[in-house]
Amino acid sequence: MTAHTMRSPSRPLLLVAPAAVLIGVFLILPYLNIVVMSLREPATTTPYGSGFSTAGYAKFFADFYYAGALLQTLWIGLLSTLVCFVLGFPLALQIVRASSRWRGLLYGIVLSPLLVGIVVRSYGWTILLGNNGVINRALLDFGVVQTPVPLMYNTFGIVVALSHVFLPFMVLPIMGALQAIDPALEDAARSLGASPRRVFRRVVLPLALPGIQSGAILVFVLAVSAYVTPVLIGGMRIKTMAVIVVETLIDQFQWPLGSALALILSATATLVVVLFMRLTRIRWK
Amino acid sequence: MTTVSIQSLVKRYGQSTAVNGISLDIEHGEFISLLGPSGCGKTTTLKCLAGFEAVDGGRILFDGRDVAQLPPEQRDIGMVFQNYALFPHMTVAGNLAFGLEMRGKPKAEIAERVRAVLDLVQLAGLGARYPRELSGGQQQRVALARALVIEPKILLLDEPLANLDATLRDEMRTFIRDLQKRVGISTLYVTHDQAEAMTMSDRVVVMFGGQIAQAAAPEVVYDRPASAAVARFVGQANVVKGVIANGAQGQRLIESPLGRLPMPQQLGLASGTLVSVIARPQAIALTAAAPGTPLAGTVAARYFHGAFIDYRVAVGDQMLNVQAAPPALHNPGDAVALGFDPARLWAVEAA
Repeated sequence: MTAHTMRSPSRPLLLVAPAAVLIGVFLILPYLNIVVMSLREPATTTPYGSGFSTAGYAKFFADFYYAGALLQTLWIGLLSTLVCFVLGFPLALQIVRASSRWRGLLYGIVLSPLLVGIVVRSYGWTILLGNNGVINRALLDFGVVQTPVPLMYNTFGIVVALSHVFLPFMVLPIMGALQAIDPALEDAARSLGASPRRVFRRVVLPLALPGIQSGAILVFVLAVSAYVTPVLIGGMRIKTMAVIVVETLIDQFQWPLGSALALILSATATLVVVLFMRLTRIRWK
Repeated sequence: MTTVSIQSLVKRYGQSTAVNGISLDIEHGEFISLLGPSGCGKTTTLKCLAGFEAVDGGRILFDGRDVAQLPPEQRDIGMVFQNYALFPHMTVAGNLAFGLEMRGKPKAEIAERVRAVLDLVQLAGLGARYPRELSGGQQQRVALARALVIEPKILLLDEPLANLDATLRDEMRTFIRDLQKRVGISTLYVTHDQAEAMTMSDRVVVMFGGQIAQAAAPEVVYDRPASAAVARFVGQANVVKGVIANGAQGQRLIESPLGRLPMPQQLGLASGTLVSVIARPQAIALTAAAPGTPLAGTVAARYFHGAFIDYRVAVGDQMLNVQAAPPALHNPGDAVALGFDPARLWAVEAA
């Protein structure tokens, strides 16, 4: 080996160093801080006491209010993921198969929810979904209903608004997976006697699975941790874990309990993701 | 027993005509190569046969039944793709079973036929592997097995050896041809490699510009090409313009810029006809030039190939390729006499 082709083994480490420092300082350290904080003693006049205790975790298990909110949050995450998949998969398929002239436009439309600020977008949904909103006014005026249909301050409204903004996170990975499918595979399946429908079920869908997996995980974790949309659409009526965590930290000033709740949400979401990956394990990669 | 008949097939893409009215019959068990440069319409013809392209005219008959309007899944074809197109999410056995599952065969029969075809392509025991765990040559054989296991009416191969290295390509050539003979299936093989087409085929179909230039046995295409273009595409050829004339003793000969060439042993060309004389590099013999030699030239270059020696011989402003058996008798710069073997000369009417 010549000196020219030799490489110092420390070179790659050096290259990742800035990113590692960034993640360490701004992600891992704060996370550790939250873990420590969740084990602090609760106090009344200060955010936390001087000693250590597991009172925060104990409170979660003692009060069904929190467990109920957690289940509610997971349910919203699950529904949003399903809605995004049902809407996003056909969309991704259409975009991938569209002519290049249309593809750019469709791509832009899919990304458009991300171009609007989260508060503005959520507020837009309240204009549409409110009891006095556009949809209910129309339904009332046309005499379809006599009293307003509850579209907001419930799971439905939150899922609608979350699915709207997180749709791109489902569509983009699925598009990536679909684009990677060699068109000759579909021809091969047809030549072997598969109808277009069976080609889809036996070839396209399984090969899109890695994309579906990534999309589902992205949408799920984003939905269970979402704050602004649930707080604006759910109001006081329906509270997700993220909303309760912020309330506990900011309004009630109970940092140990808030930290414990935040960690429980993270742990549960991680558990769901791991289970999901186990269930949809891809053996052929 | 399937015979395939392509009749006046036409395929257009917008303004351009990819396949311009070709007709071809494939007998049962026959191995036919479609040979031509890229863009000659050979792959399009194959895709029309497979049903991946809708035809714009003509008929495609399988055993007398027109299948031109049927979707691919109803044509009962076996196809091998250039990049193999194995399903990456299925094991080898899964790939092989796919076509049989689509035909609703019972599980036991599928397992038995998959095992048998794995034996046939010498891949026994590899059924549980995924395609990415196989070498290029093994993937190629799986692709072949997947096409054959459904016992299709016709086997279509689209440049299947293009992605293999030279050694493996030679090996697979023999393998495919032997397998095809053993199975006895009618086969259409698309390639731009003339050596592949010549060594494997019962008949070679040379295509240019969406039309068939010549369809004949490999030796006929080589020795009696239908045109100078065919001669140039299939193997090396020296092409010299000339005119058919009568010699002093009444024998016929060809006047050419090189001098007087003997008349090839072929009929049907009248005196005065303008022709392209086609001389394969093996049809010309070189001897040391003697004074008064009628056809003389100068060796411009010499290349040693091992099995033969390749000379470039300048005659006037023409450069001829000549192949001779070793040892090398002539050096660059030597004056040589050229002897044309009338039995191996060929002439076509000049276009």
